[in-house]
Amino acid sequence: MVATMTNPLRVGLRQERVIAPQCLVIFGASGDLTHRKLVPALFELFKQRRLPSEFALLGCARRPWSDEEFRGKMAEALASTIEDDPQAWDQFVGKLFYEPVDLQQPDDVVRLGGRLEQIDQQCATRGNRTFYLSVSPKFYGSGCRSLADAGLLKDPKRSRVVIEKPFGRDYGSAQALNRVVQACGQENQIFRIDHYLGKETVQNIMVLRFANTIFEPIWNRNYISSVQITAAETVGVEERAGYYESAGALRDMVQNHLTQMLAITAMEPPGRFDPEAIRNEKAKVLQAARLADELEPWNCCIRGQYGPGGSAESPLAGYRHEPGVDPNSTTETYVAMKLFIDNWRWQGVPFYVRTGKRLAKRTSEVVLTFREAPVHLFDAATGGPTANQLILRIQPDEGAEFRFEVKSPGSGMRSRPIDMEFSYDESFGEPSDEGYVRLLADAMLSDPTLFTRSDEVEAAWRLYTPLLELIEDSPWQLPVHPYESRTWGPAAADALLAKDGLLWRRP
Amino acid sequence: MSPQLTLQTPLELAPAEVPHYLEQLWSPEQQGSMGTGANTFCLLIWQPAWAEQQLIRSGRLSGPITGQQSAPLIAAGRQAVLDADLPLSTTPLDGAVVKAVADLEGQANAEDLRGQYIDPALSALMPRRLITLAPTIDAAQPLETLVAAYCPLPEEGGGTAACGDVVVLRGGHGALHQGLSILDPLLPESMPAWVWWNGCIDEAPELMQRLTSAPRRLIIDTALGDPRQCLELLRHRVESGQAVNDLNWLRLRSWRETLAMVFDPPQRRDALSHITRLDIDVEGHHPAQGLLLAAWIADRLGWTLLSTAAVENGTTAQFKRSDGTEVRFQLMAVPVAQPNVHAGQMVGLRLIAEPENGQGVCVILCAESGGCMRLEGGGMANLELHEEVVPVQHDTPEMDVARLLGGGHDSTNPLLAAAAPLAARLLG
Repeated sequence: MVATMTNPLRVGLRQERVIAPQCLVIFGASGDLTHRKLVPALFELFKQRRLPSEFALLGCARRPWSDEEFRGKMAEALASTIEDDPQAWDQFVGKLFYEPVDLQQPDDVVRLGGRLEQIDQQCATRGNRTFYLSVSPKFYGSGCRSLADAGLLKDPKRSRVVIEKPFGRDYGSAQALNRVVQACGQENQIFRIDHYLGKETVQNIMVLRFANTIFEPIWNRNYISSVQITAAETVGVEERAGYYESAGALRDMVQNHLTQMLAITAMEPPGRFDPEAIRNEKAKVLQAARLADELEPWNCCIRGQYGPGGSAESPLAGYRHEPGVDPNSTTETYVAMKLFIDNWRWQGVPFYVRTGKRLAKRTSEVVLTFREAPVHLFDAATGGPTANQLILRIQPDEGAEFRFEVKSPGSGMRSRPIDMEFSYDESFGEPSDEGYVRLLADAMLSDPTLFTRSDEVEAAWRLYTPLLELIEDSPWQLPVHPYESRTWGPAAADALLAKDGLLWRRP
Repeated sequence: MSPQLTLQTPLELAPAEVPHYLEQLWSPEQQGSMGTGANTFCLLIWQPAWAEQQLIRSGRLSGPITGQQSAPLIAAGRQAVLDADLPLSTTPLDGAVVKAVADLEGQANAEDLRGQYIDPALSALMPRRLITLAPTIDAAQPLETLVAAYCPLPEEGGGTAACGDVVVLRGGHGALHQGLSILDPLLPESMPAWVWWNGCIDEAPELMQRLTSAPRRLIIDTALGDPRQCLELLRHRVESGQAVNDLNWLRLRSWRETLAMVFDPPQRRDALSHITRLDIDVEGHHPAQGLLLAAWIADRLGWTLLSTAAVENGTTAQFKRSDGTEVRFQLMAVPVAQPNVHAGQMVGLRLIAEPENGQGVCVILCAESGGCMRLEGGGMANLELHEEVVPVQHDTPEMDVARLLGGGHDSTNPLLAAAAPLAARLLG
């Protein structure tokens, strides 16, 4: 449902935190992420009047653009958004600047320092800076070092670095990268971004669990029989083949987004709503997580790769026929796996995690399946009683539903499942902000709650180390199962759950 | 949590010595033993605590004098209402209570600790300087100037606490005026300064004027003092662009939030364009809070004020919606047996929407602490009814002030700025 108008009584009730005057510096400003996500998010913050008037955005990349060229490129990329509010864009665009910078060239970084001082004078940004590394991951370490060597990170209260995913390629490289960035600045200056944490619905998992007394008492092994976490995409690799070929679904989605959803779903209640208290609990639960069979990971993990599909009218190419993809590629576009969390709350409860491209439907959700009633007193209309399920819909159609048994109308005492629904759209009628809107604001506010701390990143990589080693050393033991585009993945993934007498939920 | 006392025993100094002493206290040589001086903000508090002083003097309450709204103080105030045969809806710290108790005999003494208690809600914000002006009921009492340093308890796992200091100026009205000359050097321009007028708005207008010149930000409570003067002061500050915030407005937040929640589901929003009637009930005869809420609704929904009139126990007004339709408004004072400590708090609200071609809607919000029988009565059988209970706020004034200071809002809340002039006009 689309809201017909904004709730006028809601306007201004939220007490937004105030972002201090500052300059946001984006490295990799000529890249896709800048015009697709970052500048739209900043423009949205500007329209919501959440950016201070003393704000500047300095785009940096190797291309020799001028301020005007950069502004023109951004206007072109955001044309459809600007159409809705051209006056706001006219005000915003004056805050955009550009400086050609190669982070590997010390002279460039020194010149950047001078330009920043000039912007401080021009825009009253007071030397307060957020550096966003939207560059190739191989430059994260050296980029941080260049900034530190130029003295741009020396004031921990007035300089921050935001680092995009992936943070490392495995446990060892993540540790090494952490060492480098921590040598350049304090941990509270480093913001490792995972845009899933910026989603209202992911944050709502914490509110649902810790602001209601009805869920937490049953949120454990005594009442929950299994948990499924799904992030399904209908799109293929699109224009990201270069990156995706070296990453695959495990590094692109599972190690970060799905693992963060797992951590928030499974963490213990923090003592207070405080960045460190929350991140402590997330790190602890990730440290307690393990693959269901670490010695023989092929028993608990399925890899897949999409093949051709679609209809005769609109055929879809298989992954190996996508532009930029090796025709013999063994990169996985689908992963399903089973995990356990070895702690008091979750001992013995399987967590099934899956993600894939070109699946039947775009959806992200967390499904908690409860144990069956100990005695079945009633006949079930559908054959057998359906286990209660709590489904947390992350996207799209954000909301939650609870499935439980009721009496089927009519004579007799037969039960049937029904769904009790909560929808963000129907309840609030306001579209929630893009994850980047929230996260960019939080980074500029120096609030690390929704960013990943070094020990969380390392714990997440360590969790998948047996799989990564197996793929590296003996990939034939973890074969890539082909699946038809726009289906729900390879049959082997269904078999993974069938062994436990379960089925994947069909969203 | 009980308030924290200062770290040092307060030192009594001659007024002229205070600025120099504090300058020395935070000099680099001294900071090693004290921790760092917080680079945050200064808060100047006008803290008369007349009711507390009179209740203690007359032996109806035991000391010390703290300036805090403690449970024993409120209980003693309620008892005084009964003993003085005041109307039952008189609030326990009302000026009428002060006046009635002032006529009673008694010369009980108690230690005066005003300004030396630091509420944890405030100390958590690490103010650099808290200055308390503590007028005494003995108008002839000479000026005493007390100074002390304090450090908030370090947060768990936190670093070095940033410390601050407290300054107390205590004495009769005349003596206090003499001491005001030391205030300017104690409020450096490099730090934002707030003035919390924790007393009746109309009790010392010249002093208030002197203390709150720009760029100092003012915090008042429009539940304290004559409603007309309270709302006029708000209007004046807003229209002259001087920062002001109101604790009485802040206490409306659960009402504003609950009303907004009712209209969050998109299918209900259409009703907002068809409102024909707004009724508000408040406790006793202090309409400021109810008028601020009505003004907020009118401003948000784009209504224009046509006329207003005083009626017995209330106010009526006519607004015009943007489509030209008239909206009738009525605010009524409702007698209550045990009033809130703040005068004129909201009891209930009723909105009636009557679309020309659709189902009429009635929304009733009712305070958790009382009944809404007047608003629930009659004439709504054909309307779709949404009734919500608004939770009672138990926050102390110190917690509300801390919420304001911690919110980083150093200017007037824009919703209050829009509502205050209209609320003043509603009172006619």
